[in-house]
Amino acid sequence: MAGGSAISGLVGASVHRKEDRTILTGTGRYIDDVQERGMLHCHFLRSSVAHGRIVSIDASAAREVEGVVRVFTGADMSAITEDLSFAQPIPGLNSPSYPAIAHDVVRFVGEPVALVVAESRYIAEDAAGLIEIDIDPLDPVMSTTAGLAEGAPELFGEVVPGNVVHTDEQLFGDIEAAFSQADHVVEQSLDQHRWACNPMETRGGVATYETGSGQLTYEASTQTTHTLRFLLAGWIRHPIHQFRVTANNIGGGFGLKFSAYREDVAVCAAAKAIGGAVKWVEDRNEHLVAAGSAREEQLTLQAAVKADGTLLGLRVTMKLDAGAYPINPPATVYAGLVRTTLPGPYKLPAYQFRHHIVATNKASYISLRGPWAVETLVRERLMDKIAETCGISPVEVRTRNLITLDDQPTKMITNVTLEHVTAAETFQKLVEMVDLDEIRREQEAARKEGRLLGFGVGTFIEPAPGTQEFWAAVGFPFGSEPCRIRIEIDGKVTAFTPQTPHGQSHETTLSQLIADELGVGFDDIRIVYGDTDATPFSMLGTGGSRAATMASGAVVYGSRELRKRVLEIATHILEASVDDLDIADGVVSVKGAPGASVPMAQIAMGCWLAPDQMPPGTNTEMEFVANYDGEGGGFSQASHACWIEVDQDTGKIEIKRFLVVEDCGKMINPAVVEGQVIGGIAMGVGGMLLEHSAYSDDGQYLTATFMDYLMPSAPELPEIEIEHLEFESDKVVGSRGVGEGGTVLAPAALLNAIDDALAQVGRPRVTETPITPTRMLELLGVIEKE
Amino acid sequence: MSTREITVTVNGRKRTAHVEVRRTLADFLREDLGLTATHLGCEHGVCGACTVVVDGHTERSCTQLAVQADGREITTVEGLAAADGTLHPVQQALRDNHSFQCGFCTPGFVMSIYGMCEEKKAGRPVPCSREEIREELSGNICRCTGYQSIVDGAEAALAGAGTDTTGGQA
Repeated sequence: MAGGSAISGLVGASVHRKEDRTILTGTGRYIDDVQERGMLHCHFLRSSVAHGRIVSIDASAAREVEGVVRVFTGADMSAITEDLSFAQPIPGLNSPSYPAIAHDVVRFVGEPVALVVAESRYIAEDAAGLIEIDIDPLDPVMSTTAGLAEGAPELFGEVVPGNVVHTDEQLFGDIEAAFSQADHVVEQSLDQHRWACNPMETRGGVATYETGSGQLTYEASTQTTHTLRFLLAGWIRHPIHQFRVTANNIGGGFGLKFSAYREDVAVCAAAKAIGGAVKWVEDRNEHLVAAGSAREEQLTLQAAVKADGTLLGLRVTMKLDAGAYPINPPATVYAGLVRTTLPGPYKLPAYQFRHHIVATNKASYISLRGPWAVETLVRERLMDKIAETCGISPVEVRTRNLITLDDQPTKMITNVTLEHVTAAETFQKLVEMVDLDEIRREQEAARKEGRLLGFGVGTFIEPAPGTQEFWAAVGFPFGSEPCRIRIEIDGKVTAFTPQTPHGQSHETTLSQLIADELGVGFDDIRIVYGDTDATPFSMLGTGGSRAATMASGAVVYGSRELRKRVLEIATHILEASVDDLDIADGVVSVKGAPGASVPMAQIAMGCWLAPDQMPPGTNTEMEFVANYDGEGGGFSQASHACWIEVDQDTGKIEIKRFLVVEDCGKMINPAVVEGQVIGGIAMGVGGMLLEHSAYSDDGQYLTATFMDYLMPSAPELPEIEIEHLEFESDKVVGSRGVGEGGTVLAPAALLNAIDDALAQVGRPRVTETPITPTRMLELLGVIEKE
Repeated sequence: MSTREITVTVNGRKRTAHVEVRRTLADFLREDLGLTATHLGCEHGVCGACTVVVDGHTERSCTQLAVQADGREITTVEGLAAADGTLHPVQQALRDNHSFQCGFCTPGFVMSIYGMCEEKKAGRPVPCSREEIREELSGNICRCTGYQSIVDGAEAALAGAGTDTTGGQA
């Protein structure tokens, strides 16, 4: 590798996680574990009607219940809060604002219509059952097609004309020429169903208002404390300098906990109105019904290709079912992500992308682990169809079109520079590890025994963290990442990060980096997160797998600055030049003369207590805020292969083998990387085979428990084999994010395997997900489609 | 709301309390006894985060009432590590294998795997192969890990169960 990082030692080792002692002994502080003095409990009454006008609401009986402290109807809540607004200066974006609690129109089953605050959750739920609400039903809009239809009911009237939240068309290159030169035009469509993040810890928060000081604290299960703080402060009309948002242990997020929600607004406002502490933790039923779901997109693609499978151009249309209410980020970001990423690691000379984002009577469309994932799903399935059309193998079609390291730097057709991107190399490695001819022979032998095997591959790039150009094309800021690092008076280290880790092991990985950079012990480092009073500002918190590059860079640069200061002081004490000094285990010593040494603790104590007595001209500030710009950023990448067997009697799909070749650059902690990869794949597999946030035609939510919304459990998932490549760049921080990739790519490899199985028995490809056993039997022609 | 007096031994300590008859065991443990390690992920008996050991058997604490636990002996995750903080061998095996990420489902898995190890110590049949371990763990849901690392940890814990006398009071 050129240039290169000085990072060594703990970095690269699967060291034990700092987080584990806490979580294994159950001593963490998840949101439902919080017990404040005099704390009251919230329960939201939610609409059972998908679309309707509230005629009346009578909470008088609920208010009479012993133990009920306050009931807020929509009108009560709107008197003390602003409507939530996520409107941004984006041309053509129709982003309706909406109240924390509905008071005129309800637009999805699960929308809050009242908030009961009581001495216990039991009492709050009892009382909610006594609230009488009369809703005059309106026709619901339950699909993008219905929403766009002539004369469709408009959810927000003229605020969202024709239910179109946003529509746009972008052209790159000469698309007409591409199609006029094509030997084949290959078409494909996919209707992806709605599925959900479902972190094991649902949403929740505890708001505590101190009536004397006017201080409000909101401890929340959130991925982004700072953004939650500035959004909520405005909506609850609270001065931001008297508002602190904290987060401790967070039981998963997967994108869901990036936004601020109307329940957050209501809970904070209620605490302020009542003057005390108020807890809200939604139960799983509420979570499934009301927290929002993801991935509901319909795409059609047309590819212009040459006879040898070379891509000439691509036309894509996407309809995105946004649900009723916008959240953060604006839906244009999802469309921008899909559009910008879809060409992936392939040479594509011309491209047209159209999208329609449509409001429907469902819970909000939210981020889910790689929210752009459908781009990889449709592209990789299209590659297979091109291969079939041109009579070449799925390997050949990719090899002919992939951008290799030798082709770089180059620009994607979406104006994003690719440099050090190794998708082609991961695919090459995958192909070397797989014997395609042998797989075909096995499939043929199996068919003779009446068994059906399928095999699929896929490859992709992951913008983790992406580049300035990438995020500019998407329409989202690519912020730098700060970290405040302090060498304490005893030489130990505290680092304050705006990351809000919820399983990503940042306490471990950031400590590994600091230990190596500063020469202090791993156990002598503490990572502080989740406190807007303590951590430097960042809009993003933890999301988009930014941390591997961005948070890492911030601690590396911060550590280097403090190291420089310590060494400078040590040169005076040890009468040696900086180049002759080293720091290990918190002791600065002269190389080759271990006797000549000074503990960092001694230097730090001097700096904190008697800076005027330290060597003149040295910098005695033992605290530094570093800002890391990402050194231009970059991508990670992977290729997957999936082997399945289909039970033709039951429709069950068993994953027999799953192989990953991934490159996220320099691995800080391989066990953490593998955890992210495998966990991501599990989520992608669950999403394709089991999970469904299903609605009836009249807008009822159908999968409101874990007996209906099926989460993958251990027996449904395969043992996943991972091969790591670590092509490194010339960046100081050569680590890339890897959290999204499994969820983004696994569905593509899996669906390609299913299509491969279907093709062997002469059946058409998948056009609709999820592939439940029933749908598989329909695809096989065993049963009629309902 | 009617209440009843119950006496329950939790992690070796006898606890007497008046509870509402409708109060779940999980809420009793978490809110009345302050033992918040036992988590609630679904409150309808599917996810297994609330798993505790009752009279030697792993059970859901979200789908039973506190009054049903009257006179019984309960072990929660708080009861596994030694007083000096030494992790129970099951916890150590899971730590060694990077089994978990966000930690929310963790107490339920720890108790399920602890339950299996206790079965093994008692000489009863337990899962041996990874496939059998997966089947045995199907009553616990984890959203982060994809289970492979948990199976690694469970395999190690089961291999050690009955052979290791260090660490852990329970």
